[in-house]
Amino acid sequence: MESPKIPVDLILAKLSEEAEKVQERVKKASDVLLGPLDTEIATTPYEIVYQEDRVKLKHYKPIAEIQFKTPLLVVYALINRETMLDLQPGRSVVQSFLNAGIDLYMIDWGYPTRKDKYLTIDDHVNGYMDNIVDFVLQKHNLPRLHLMGICMGGTFCVIYSALHPEKVKTLVTTVAPTNFDTDQGLLHIWMKDVDVDRMVDTFGNMPGDLMNFGFLLLNPARLMIDKYVGFLEIMDNKELVENFIRMEKWIFDSPDVPGETFRQFVKDCYQKNLLIQSKMDVGGRLVDLRKITMPVLNIYGRFDHLVPPGACELLTSKVGSKDTEDVCIETGHIGIYVSSKCQKEFAPKIIKWLKERDDLVKEDFIAPKKERGKTKAHLKRPKKVVIESGDEP
Amino acid sequence: MNQNEKSAPETLLSDWMKTTAEFWGSVTKMWLGVPGASESLTQSEEAIKSRIQESWESTLKMWQSIFLTLREPGGMDVFFKGINAVPEIVLRMAKTGWDGYFHLQQQWLERVGRIGQRTEVYKFEDLDQNVFKAWTEIYEKEFKQFLTVPQLGLTRYYQERMGVTMDKFNLFQAAMAEFFRMLFLPMEKAYRVIQEKIGELTKEGKLPEDPKEYYHMWLKILEGHYIILFKSPEYTRVLSNTLDVMEEFLVARQRMLQDMIQTLPVPSDRDMEDLYKELYLLKKKVKEIEKRVDKV
Repeated sequence: MESPKIPVDLILAKLSEEAEKVQERVKKASDVLLGPLDTEIATTPYEIVYQEDRVKLKHYKPIAEIQFKTPLLVVYALINRETMLDLQPGRSVVQSFLNAGIDLYMIDWGYPTRKDKYLTIDDHVNGYMDNIVDFVLQKHNLPRLHLMGICMGGTFCVIYSALHPEKVKTLVTTVAPTNFDTDQGLLHIWMKDVDVDRMVDTFGNMPGDLMNFGFLLLNPARLMIDKYVGFLEIMDNKELVENFIRMEKWIFDSPDVPGETFRQFVKDCYQKNLLIQSKMDVGGRLVDLRKITMPVLNIYGRFDHLVPPGACELLTSKVGSKDTEDVCIETGHIGIYVSSKCQKEFAPKIIKWLKERDDLVKEDFIAPKKERGKTKAHLKRPKKVVIESGDEP
Repeated sequence: MNQNEKSAPETLLSDWMKTTAEFWGSVTKMWLGVPGASESLTQSEEAIKSRIQESWESTLKMWQSIFLTLREPGGMDVFFKGINAVPEIVLRMAKTGWDGYFHLQQQWLERVGRIGQRTEVYKFEDLDQNVFKAWTEIYEKEFKQFLTVPQLGLTRYYQERMGVTMDKFNLFQAAMAEFFRMLFLPMEKAYRVIQEKIGELTKEGKLPEDPKEYYHMWLKILEGHYIILFKSPEYTRVLSNTLDVMEEFLVARQRMLQDMIQTLPVPSDRDMEDLYKELYLLKKKVKEIEKRVDKV
């Protein structure tokens, strides 16, 4: 029997070819890395129009004529920073919104210090958020605004919309966890066993670096090895290096999370899953999702390992609105905002959806009396769209 | 020998004692009689002087009475008998000390023996997986007690907190080592699997020509092993334990640092926590009132 042939010659040839390429790349890389690099993030001009304690409200300067009657307020998570929405020109959700003529506001939660450890979800939602909404409404002399939440900020927006539905015209949630009783994501599995009381009592605020380490551990092969192997392959390309550094800057810019907020979020959401059951108490008030009667657009990523589809897709069936839409994008947690392909789908989808509802008055979307109090599933078959997008960063 | 007949050394010692007692008696009298010795002294200096003098006189009297007793007939016999007993007492004391030392050493040997027994239970040929469990158990059963020995005295609480911190640090180190060891396991497994896979591909004659393909193969295998590991209850247990002991260590360290900070003119952690809480509650109240006023 003839023994199989091992293409040693070809493998060695490829290796030597690769070695030459690497050598060439390293030569160029030293020029790139030692030369001037533009790695600034969040460069779209804005002004701070409101500030309360550490929390600031950014108002982006319009770059096109305002096409929307109602301004949009974006609420980011307490984990990481809102700069992710404006990483770089051409890959900026902020710029896409501004180009479409949206009057855009965004909350910057700042960096909590030890004195913020007692702040609860109530303080964030019924305190800071509500004050900011009042400020914007007063400034524009409007009764309601468009509200968009990202990740944990999306959860906050859901809570806010249930407690203050009269101030929200439409609700957009993106990768926002609302159902925590799922085994799809490791975070959901691990959080169930975490002794959050001990953690908060020890650390005070939840250290951003510790949480980041936890996120890296969700996929160490990709996030701690392959990512940097990938960097070695692009390090001679100035533009790609700049993009890579921008992403690194954003990822490791992790403010601490106020201790009491973290405690309540883990206990009430991850461990007891109270929100989706309309049993969560915030500031002494029950968060009843059926009170969310405004139009809801719910976007999530199919390959999101932090907030998997199972954590997002139940929301639309639990709210009281008859105008809901689920959009599942074929990407991950961050790719939804920063991948070049998603830039063509994610922001345009939101812009179109908002535009269609910008002229609506309150009566247009409040469910008829006889139908109120029922879940959306009873009112209308949920609309679900799947957008395919591949390039997860 | 007649009781009144004294031996030569006995007479010699007796005479020396007599002379000494008389000499110091005379010196004292001379000192007290020195003109100006008690002059130009303030009232407090006078009081100190008289206390010293009294003390000196009483010591001298005691000394003289001992000497005089020894000079009595038969006194020296008793003294010399006492002297003869000294080596015996010293030997007895030394024996007690050695017994204690040997007992301690025996305990240590037993302890070391038990360490051997414990490692046997976990079979050290499977060193990688069990070494951390074994070490933690050895530490907890055989060494930890030394750090938790009840402390005595005024500084007992400070010493106790120091001991607890060291204890928690040791447990934290062991847990971290186990945790990182566990994180490394998929690497080892992926390395073994890729070797097997290359072997299979070699047999089939399907070896990829591009070296990058080997890396991607390895990465995929590694990712798979990590997913299996992270979903395992064993990992969740180790992760949870690592977090627990880390938190215990941080709390213990904080308490020990509090003790040190107490001596410095800076507010302690507890002071600041109280202040922050008060500030938080006050601000909340003010904001509520502000909102109510705005509505009015």
